[in-house]
Order: sequence, then C-alpha cells, then structure tokens
Amino acid sequence: MSSALARLVRAELKLMTRDPLVLTFVFVFPVVTMLIIGGSFGTTPDPAFGGANPSHWYVASYLTVVIAATGLIMMPVHLASYRERGVLRRFAAAGFPRWSFAIAQLVVGLITIAVASVLLLAVAAPVYGIPTLNGAGRVLAAFFLGAVTFVAIGVLLGSVLRSARSAQAVGLILFFPSFLLGAGGPPPHVMGAVLRNVASVLPLTLVTNAVRKPWLALGSATGSLVVVGVLAVVCTALAARRSVL
Amino acid sequence: MTFPLLPAGTIDGMKENDAVTVRGLRKSYDGRVVVDGLDLDVGSGEVVGLIGANGAGKTTAVECIQGLRRPDSGTLRVLGLDPTTQADRLRPVLGSQLQDSALPDRLRVGEAIDLFSTARARDGGELIEQFGLHGRLRSAFSSLSGGERQRLFLVLALLNQPQLVILDELTQGLDPAARRDVWSAVATLRDAGTTVLLVTHELDEAEALCTRVVAMRAGRVLDSGRPADLIDRHGRRATIRFGLDDTAPADLIPQLRAVTGVDTVEVAGRQVTVRGDRRMIAYVGAALVQMRCVPADLGVEIPNLEGALLGLLDGAATSPSPQHQMIRSAA
Repeated sequence: MSSALARLVRAELKLMTRDPLVLTFVFVFPVVTMLIIGGSFGTTPDPAFGGANPSHWYVASYLTVVIAATGLIMMPVHLASYRERGVLRRFAAAGFPRWSFAIAQLVVGLITIAVASVLLLAVAAPVYGIPTLNGAGRVLAAFFLGAVTFVAIGVLLGSVLRSARSAQAVGLILFFPSFLLGAGGPPPHVMGAVLRNVASVLPLTLVTNAVRKPWLALGSATGSLVVVGVLAVVCTALAARRSVL
Repeated sequence: MTFPLLPAGTIDGMKENDAVTVRGLRKSYDGRVVVDGLDLDVGSGEVVGLIGANGAGKTTAVECIQGLRRPDSGTLRVLGLDPTTQADRLRPVLGSQLQDSALPDRLRVGEAIDLFSTARARDGGELIEQFGLHGRLRSAFSSLSGGERQRLFLVLALLNQPQLVILDELTQGLDPAARRDVWSAVATLRDAGTTVLLVTHELDEAEALCTRVVAMRAGRVLDSGRPADLIDRHGRRATIRFGLDDTAPADLIPQLRAVTGVDTVEVAGRQVTVRGDRRMIAYVGAALVQMRCVPADLGVEIPNLEGALLGLLDGAATSPSPQHQMIRSAA
C-alpha cells in the first residue's frame, strides 16, 4: 500500500501516456518542428543567432517548447476537464489529502517535461548533434525553474478555466505566440523592434534565454534566471492556493 | 458500534451510536436558501433514505455532511467528527458515491481500485467479483455502461471499509435492469449491517432499500419514519374494484355506501369502484361475504411510498396518487 500522493502520481503518469493531446503537443510537436526548423538555417555559425550554430540554437531552444506545451496545453486541459467532470470532487470525497492533487500535478508535469526533453535530445543528437553544455549549473537551474513556472501556470489556468474546451482554447492562444516569439520561431535579431519588445517580456522568452545563453556560451542571462526564479515562486504559490481539493 | 470521538450529549437528542447527527443545518447560495434548518439522525446500521424532488436540498445536505461544503450554520457530527473542521479525518472513513462525478476516461477499472485503495482497503478483487465487474478489470472507465459505472462507484465507496456509506442518486439514468443490479448491491450492504445514507428522488428505490426515510422539501424535513409508517400516515386511501354478476343482491350498492370508511361507490356498467379510507378494505370484504357476493375479479389498490408521498413532496395537497400497488384477490 502506498501513500495517496504516490498513488495519484502513478495513476496520472499512466493516464498521461494515453492522452493524445499530451502525446501530440508535448512529445511529437516539439520534435517534429525542431527537426524542420533546425535544418532550415544550416549549421554554420551565424550572427543572426548570436554567432551560434543555428541547429544548435534550436536544439537548445526547443527544450523550452516542451516546457511551454506541458504548462500551457497539457496541464490546463487536464485539470479543467477533471473539474468539469467532477473527478476532483471524487478525489476530495475519497479522502485524498487537500494538497496531494496539486503536488501530484507538479510531479507529473516535471516528469513529463523530463521524459519529453530526453526524447527531443535523443532525436536531435544523431541529426544535428547536441551542443556542448556550457554553464551546466545555470542551464539546469533555469530549466528546472522554467518547468516549475510553466507547470504552475498550467495548474493555475486549469483551476480558473471552467471547461476543458475553454482551457484548450486559452492554452493554444497562449502557446503559439509564446512558441513563435519566445522559443521556436525566428531569432530575436531578425525580428522587428515591436515584435522583439513583445517577445522580450514573455515568460517563455525569459526561460529560453536563461537556458540557451549559458548553454551556447552566449551570455550568463542572470537577469532572466532571476526573473524566472521569482516567477516560479509566485506562480507556484498562486497555483497551490487555487488547486487544493 | 460506537464512535469514540463522540462526546455523548454534545448535541441535543444525539444518541451514542448515531453515525450522523445534524441539527439546524442551513446553507444558501447567492441568497437562495437551499437547506433550511435541517435536523437528521442516522443510527449505526441503518439505511436512511433522504428523499425529495429535485432542488429539495438533499445533495447540498450530504455534501455538508461529507465536509465538501461549509454550512452557513448548524451543528454536524459525523462518526464523532465535525465535517467542517475535521474533513481530512472524516473522509477516509466515509465511502461516497457523488451525484454528477466521474473518473478519468482512460483510467482502467483495476487502476481505479489501486488508486482509491488506502491502508484500510479490503480485497478489491473480492468486491469486483461481488459486483460483477471481474471481466472488466482492464476496461477504461469511458467504455463502461451506466450500470457498470455505478457498480464501480459502489466498489470504490466500499473499498476502504467505510463506517458510513453515502450514495447520491445512485441509479440516476440507469435502465431498469441496471437499476435492479444496483438495488441488489445496496440490499447486500443493508443485510450486512452497513450504515448507508441514500439520497434519491426515486421513491420506489427508497421503499425497496431503506429502513427509514426522511422526506425533504425546500430544504426542510417534512416527515420521517419507516416506509410502511409513512405510507400509513400519508397514504390512507384505498380503492376496491370488482365486476357485478347476475347473482349480486339488488341492494348491494346502497349497502356498500353504508360500510364504515367508504366515501364513494361508483357504478359504470357492471364495474363497481369503491373508494375510501384503508380501514374500509376489511369492512367491504366482510359486507360482500355477508351478502354472499364474492367477485372473482376483486382488486384492491393501496398506495406505495410514491403514491403516499408524491403530493407531499411536490408541495401539492396530499391526494390519492395514480401510483398504486395492486393486490389481486385470491378468490
């Protein structure tokens, strides 16, 4: 017999592997788009990419696409669907501790991101190669804090949106601009001033900068890392308040 | 069974072995009063039916009892605990089936058993067998029929050996066969001495399963008691029908009108309908025998719980209901 949290995590992980939305957006979409766009600009270091190999630029960037897909699409739809159909009430009535579901979602979200990221790197390695990891501590910290931030945003969205359909609509509206401007689209150097300004304040841009810059030795991105850390704390606190059973 | 946390005499009228004691429960939503001063007792081993029309406040009341909603006022003790402040301790010892709830679509039956099994859990396989779901262990929740889902909810409600089982609209939307299956499962619980609070607006269900029934309307208790007692109190009317044959005495109808308890005697062709208080059944029978008129097609209609309470629960005046139970004469 195991704890309520362990039982929830185990069941939710199984369900995650059976959810077509998760498989599509978290596992398949980042890999496919990374393969396409990573091969579009060649492998020669380019000033538009801060002097980095464009393929490596996108390999590093697409790890945060996984984070965004998990936080903005998977989590909100999953939670809103549970609320809409009364699954959360059933968990509450069955005596699951008040915090267990929120913590289980955080754990499942982080595990999903980790597994999907490993898959992405495993596919990228033979095609474009994995860029040499500089500043491993900063990169891992940024990746972890970014993952926590977006999972918390997802839990928050899922707890305020009333239906799975509305969660999906809002999630997609948030995801695609973030994806195009903050991680998987054109590099900031080729964007117009307005787009660059908009992109610079997106949470996903901050997470991507905090992961990519130290990894590719393009800078330390300390400012982005600090903001991501603050976002992680604030979003987690808000999500925890909203998502107790 | 006793509940050690229960301080005897804490609440007015509370008995030591009461599983549920509610006094003056009040709950409103946006100014609309849904439960209005509800008093309720459920003794250990009882199957109590909370009945009433939609909107009577039944579900809100049991949600407060489970600690899923916070009442505006009132005192509640459930298994010796206060559900408003001790829900975390209470819920693990409750088994509940909620109205309008579900499991994740892709969760399999066997996985649901694992997910909901706590350290108190009994053998899930035994329950699965008992409720006829052994062939569905690997089936996803979304693929189960309505009856199978309700039986699974019953399994989950009983899995952790609860001291009190709360079942809210257990047979809603089920076809007659599935309904009978679920009834049979609840009857098994009753026979095993499990304490059950059954919420339903199906009065035949309450009559078939409950040892005691509490009738609610507009958030208040109208009456409570054993189903037979409620029928006695609210379903006093009876109807006798029979056909006249050539041997019937000429003064039969006037004589019947004079029988104790008879209100009306109608004759349509050769068909006679006698209406009145239920006491008249014996008197009319005796009168017919005395007049050597024993019709072979004599039938007696007396109200069941639905017939007795329908008018009361709907807010209309108590009146004879079309829902009657027919008792055919053995003549």
